[in-house]
Amino acid sequence: MTEEKILEKVVDILKPYAKDASALASVSLETNILSGLKVNSARLVDVVLAFEDAFGIEVADDDADKVQTVGDAVRLIQGKLA
Amino acid sequence: MADAAPGPGLAVEAMLTPRGRSPGLGEAAWSRRALAVQLAVSRLAAPVWVPLVVLSMRFGFRWRIRGAASTRALYASLLSERRPLLVVANHLTMVDSAVIGWGLGSAAGHVLRPRGLPWNVPLQRRVESSWLWRMLAYVMKCVPVPRGGDRQEVAQVLERLAHLLRSGETVLMFPESGRSRTGRVDTEATADGVGRLIKEVEGCRVLCVYVRGDAQRTWSNLPSAGDTFTIATRLVEPRTGLRGLRASRDLATQVVRHLVEMEREHLEGRAS
Repeated sequence: MTEEKILEKVVDILKPYAKDASALASVSLETNILSGLKVNSARLVDVVLAFEDAFGIEVADDDADKVQTVGDAVRLIQGKLA
Repeated sequence: MADAAPGPGLAVEAMLTPRGRSPGLGEAAWSRRALAVQLAVSRLAAPVWVPLVVLSMRFGFRWRIRGAASTRALYASLLSERRPLLVVANHLTMVDSAVIGWGLGSAAGHVLRPRGLPWNVPLQRRVESSWLWRMLAYVMKCVPVPRGGDRQEVAQVLERLAHLLRSGETVLMFPESGRSRTGRVDTEATADGVGRLIKEVEGCRVLCVYVRGDAQRTWSNLPSAGDTFTIATRLVEPRTGLRGLRASRDLATQVVRHLVEMEREHLEGRAS
């Protein structure tokens, strides 16, 4: 799966969790999920669990801890799919 | 805590966040030494601060705890078993941890057996708001946690708490990520930290505690003066067949379900 496809899917997954919907319009790999999209930190686990379901992967706690930006999520998923 | 190396330098360092630690020490080693120093300082100061806190609750606010003797007897028996014990409670006021600590043991009991006084996990933002808060939090066995921040920083805090539990200390956590704005145990606000801790610490038992004052209708800063608290307890050992994040979420959810049941039983008992 290409990076663009993964990014597109990641942004779709983030939509219901992002309190700042306008930030989604200009989302990039550098966008911080918590501070940029205003996703509640307690809901970040739900986001990563949604990644697991959508991409058929399993994410360890330590790997989830490293996800801060949209790019971190995309790279994590790419790594798991490789 | 056998690796304790008490010293004034480390004591000052321990009041800082992980960002302020000494260079050259690994994170885990630094944390463990800092916690050992903090524990030593807290134990030395306990004969002063524990009675002061209890006296202020008993005579300053005129609070009472219903049936404290049986709760304390249960807790003492759990402590004597020398297995990791995590205390998990509902959260309605800013002094829940003090009330729960008092409910689990008398002032004299905590001074004589300081291991039974649970470690607390207050918000880092509040603790860092003044040096007075920092000092109090340090002496009163607190490990501040950042809310809404970097998960790696939260993971470091959880690792410290796991170390404390494995060392025979007890830890008190509120799984709702803050005081319940609904006045009821909020299943929507469950954070996975409690579950992650249970998963990380082998053989971890969980003492679910439901605390509520008779006059407590919803969340507040402080309970009403003269209020009487009921403290219900339930010992559980959550298990899961899941892995990774799902395991943490499952374990945390199981614990919160127990709190919800305990709340229902409490409210039904009060209504009848």
